[in-house]
Amino acid sequence: MARRTTRQTQFLVVSTFLISLYSALYLSLIPLPISQDIKDQIVPCLPFNLLITLGSYCLWELGMGVLTFGECDEAHDELMKEIEMAKSDLRSKGISVD
Amino acid sequence: MSKYSVILPTYQERRNLPIIVWLLARVFAEQHLAWEIIIVDDASPDGTLEVAKELQGLYGEDKIILKPRAGKLGLGTAYIHGLKFCTGDFVIIMDADFSHHPKFLVEFIAKQKAQNLDIVTGTRYIPGGGVYGWDLKRKVISRGANLLAKLVLWPGVSDVTGSFRLYKKPVLESLIASTQSRGYVFQMEIIVRAKAAGYTVGEVPITFVDRVYGESKLGGDEIVSYAKGIWMLFRAV
Repeated sequence: MARRTTRQTQFLVVSTFLISLYSALYLSLIPLPISQDIKDQIVPCLPFNLLITLGSYCLWELGMGVLTFGECDEAHDELMKEIEMAKSDLRSKGISVD
Repeated sequence: MSKYSVILPTYQERRNLPIIVWLLARVFAEQHLAWEIIIVDDASPDGTLEVAKELQGLYGEDKIILKPRAGKLGLGTAYIHGLKFCTGDFVIIMDADFSHHPKFLVEFIAKQKAQNLDIVTGTRYIPGGGVYGWDLKRKVISRGANLLAKLVLWPGVSDVTGSFRLYKKPVLESLIASTQSRGYVFQMEIIVRAKAAGYTVGEVPITFVDRVYGESKLGGDEIVSYAKGIWMLFRAV
């Protein structure tokens, strides 16, 4: 099953929807059972909060990613040994190795 | 019995090539698999082709296939070129400089068989995987680049720029026909298109030993072209 919509299209569709939803909320077009006070204080902050959340997520992922980056010293040592093994075997069979 | 083809694009790999071929041959022999290696050399001035011919003498012309090109034409086209001569059911692409160790092919092949996957890709970023020889800056860049790709492209794999992969031959042929980019954005494009097209992709953690011999090629230009590549994929796939 092939996906027809590009990621750009999906992004535009979803963000248009979210922006419309937010605008409707902001302009009080949708009647909600919340007090006007809460609407005035919270709704204007939502985009900012979203940005902060996104930024924090990125920093967290980056930081954790770097901290937990797997190291493989044994792989390097094993490889060095194998290279020597390969070289001597190949040399004995007439291949020009360094 | 399934046959496995390895496409090895080479440029100035005279020292590494015999050893990587030896490691591959050993894995295939131990696993009793039918195999071939297609070496696509881009007119290396250091004698890579000459040592490839010696290897051909040792392992046989049916196992080591030489398809050199007249000049340094790049990675993407090297795979396209090499693919034409593959007679295997599966195609493996990997680097020739030991950053990708043939021993992982055992797991790649087992995983592919177990789940009948279209593609198996090696990843450095999941538990069991890792790198050797990277300083902090390199790690930050690597994680940052991968994070950017994840945010913009939702690729569904943990390592988008990884180039150690096993493909079913028809899958690779179909994907390569639709790719537009070159360089290592090419690797990203293939896997993103693969997921978008509904191919099944599995991941195996790999250890990536960086630059045993040779120098790393990561500069400001690369970073810019990477970002451009992501933007292109965002719009096209």
